[in-house]
Amino acid sequence: MNARVTTLIPPHQRSISRVAIRRVASYQAELIAPMVETLREFDLPIRGKTILLKPNFVGPDPQNLINTHPAMVAAARESFLQLGAERVLLGDGPALDRDTEGIVESMHLREYVGPLGQCFVDLNLDAARKTVLRTNASTLKHLYFPETVLGADLVVSMPRMKTHHWAGVTLSLKNMFGVVPGNCYGWPKNILHWAGINKSLLDINSTVRPDFAIVDGIVGMEGNGPTQGTAKPCGVIVMGDDPVAVDCTCARIMGLLPERIEYLTQAALLLGHLKEEKIQQIGESIAEVLTPFEVLDNFKKLKGPAGSIGS
Amino acid sequence: MACLKRKFDFLMPTTPEELEFRDRICFPMLAGAQNSDGGWGYRRGKQSATEPTAWALLALHSSADCNEFSSAMQHGKEWLLAAQLPDHSWPAFGEFPEGRWLTSLACLALRQYGESPIAIAAGAQWLCNEMPGDSALWRRALRALFAKRGVVRQNSALRGWSWTPGTSSWVEPTACALILLHRLYSGKVYPADAEKRRVLAEAMIYDRMCPGGGWNAGNSEVYGVAGEPLIGPTVWALIALQKYRQRSENQQGLKWLLSTREQIAGPGSLALANICFQVYGCEVPSIVPSLRRSYEENQFMGNVLVAAMCAIALNAPGEWLCWERGR
Repeated sequence: MNARVTTLIPPHQRSISRVAIRRVASYQAELIAPMVETLREFDLPIRGKTILLKPNFVGPDPQNLINTHPAMVAAARESFLQLGAERVLLGDGPALDRDTEGIVESMHLREYVGPLGQCFVDLNLDAARKTVLRTNASTLKHLYFPETVLGADLVVSMPRMKTHHWAGVTLSLKNMFGVVPGNCYGWPKNILHWAGINKSLLDINSTVRPDFAIVDGIVGMEGNGPTQGTAKPCGVIVMGDDPVAVDCTCARIMGLLPERIEYLTQAALLLGHLKEEKIQQIGESIAEVLTPFEVLDNFKKLKGPAGSIGS
Repeated sequence: MACLKRKFDFLMPTTPEELEFRDRICFPMLAGAQNSDGGWGYRRGKQSATEPTAWALLALHSSADCNEFSSAMQHGKEWLLAAQLPDHSWPAFGEFPEGRWLTSLACLALRQYGESPIAIAAGAQWLCNEMPGDSALWRRALRALFAKRGVVRQNSALRGWSWTPGTSSWVEPTACALILLHRLYSGKVYPADAEKRRVLAEAMIYDRMCPGGGWNAGNSEVYGVAGEPLIGPTVWALIALQKYRQRSENQQGLKWLLSTREQIAGPGSLALANICFQVYGCEVPSIVPSLRRSYEENQFMGNVLVAAMCAIALNAPGEWLCWERGR
């Protein structure tokens, strides 16, 4: 069993982060080649390793509009295998619906990745281990985390680019709520709401920070996300080894100001870069793929003043 | 161990096809997943936990031949009793430090075997003492003063049970606690203060119903948008409220469940829905073809809960699930 240790580095000591923006028109387009090419650029330690892909599977999704698209998950799995990974597991712990098998079957995941029994782990029901939190913003002090997460050599957060009616946006950091096991904390994982969503997000990510992020922005969701919003074609995949920088880049693509998203500003203190000048873009520029997302009224402040990006 | 005689006749006859699937797939999967310590994990080979152990015990109790699994059931009961914490609640895992909602499930499993009344009474009392955090008067006052209007529509004066101590009331843990209280009603172990909790909890579940019928985890409306119901919470709410089966809310929930039946993709949800249909006397086509297909494709993803739920769904519901038959 590996012991995952997240290194907490303040921004002034952290080197420039790189974030790749790849333009991909649809889920039918070639997905593996751009992923493999990008993963090579980041030179991750993949060969011989156990990789955990953590997509965002919220609920039943027969139209493939809510969850990370199965084509993306399959392409990422194949990409890591091509680059020499020994095992690529898929795992999530949906927050509201206990029927994880029903969720993944509703979105036809098996047709993309083969028999689920061999590669999918329901993180809600995994054996869990008590883990001291690396930060104490929430005052929870410790949480139980699934052994599959703690034992993976590389954890890859794979969210869908969406607005979120409580947090503003849900991207690679928010996606990590799904590693908190329902068998310890329930459906929803209400203890995290009580401790504060933003504070809990910092504590979870400071303890099990994803090593890499692949954001499915081919078709995102705007408005009343994460489940009742509207499909928003955006045509991008955003990738990087700094999840904060990836999420801030996604927010900018969505026409939102990451400086006004509370959990991103907190995460930027220890987990990655928020400032644009500290993030080197690879591939497309933000301006080239800018696609302003609609937000609920209580998140209009994320849009910034008239004339700013995406307003 | 003496096998308890079932008090109720079957509501609907169980077909040979259903019994065969239960006996050839579900029970062997359960028997093969029991750990040497007597408990069950959520999957074979995983640490023993309260919820799968309780479900496995409830499922095995429905087997026609109690002798076949008598040793497994005995060891399972022993694990469950040993897992009870000093405060009389049950934890998620053996070494987990504090009690959880599934105390009600553990009590239900032990009650089904007609044993351990002291442990059950103490567990039920712990549940009745356990107040969700959102119902505290000072919290409700603060929310009334400062909460943004129109975000969530619910009556927070109504309290049920939470997933973890001190947090908000949710439909499934509330329903599970209500099922236990019904099971204990009129017995010596019915907690003295249970009646008030029961009335409030029933009202809470009705309050949380989705506008179009059915239940989700407990958010019926957020930002003025109707919540979408889910199978599991709807089933547990309908079972817990079966006494009021003629109420329009129950009928709406049942109607939604029936309308959704053919789209159910997971075997666990399918089994739960089938249990609910049996409790409400709805005749529906056999779920065995769907379960068989699902098992061939994913082997239930090794999920012990699903195997147990399927075993229970392929029998007539026991009295722990159905106490209002024939009314």
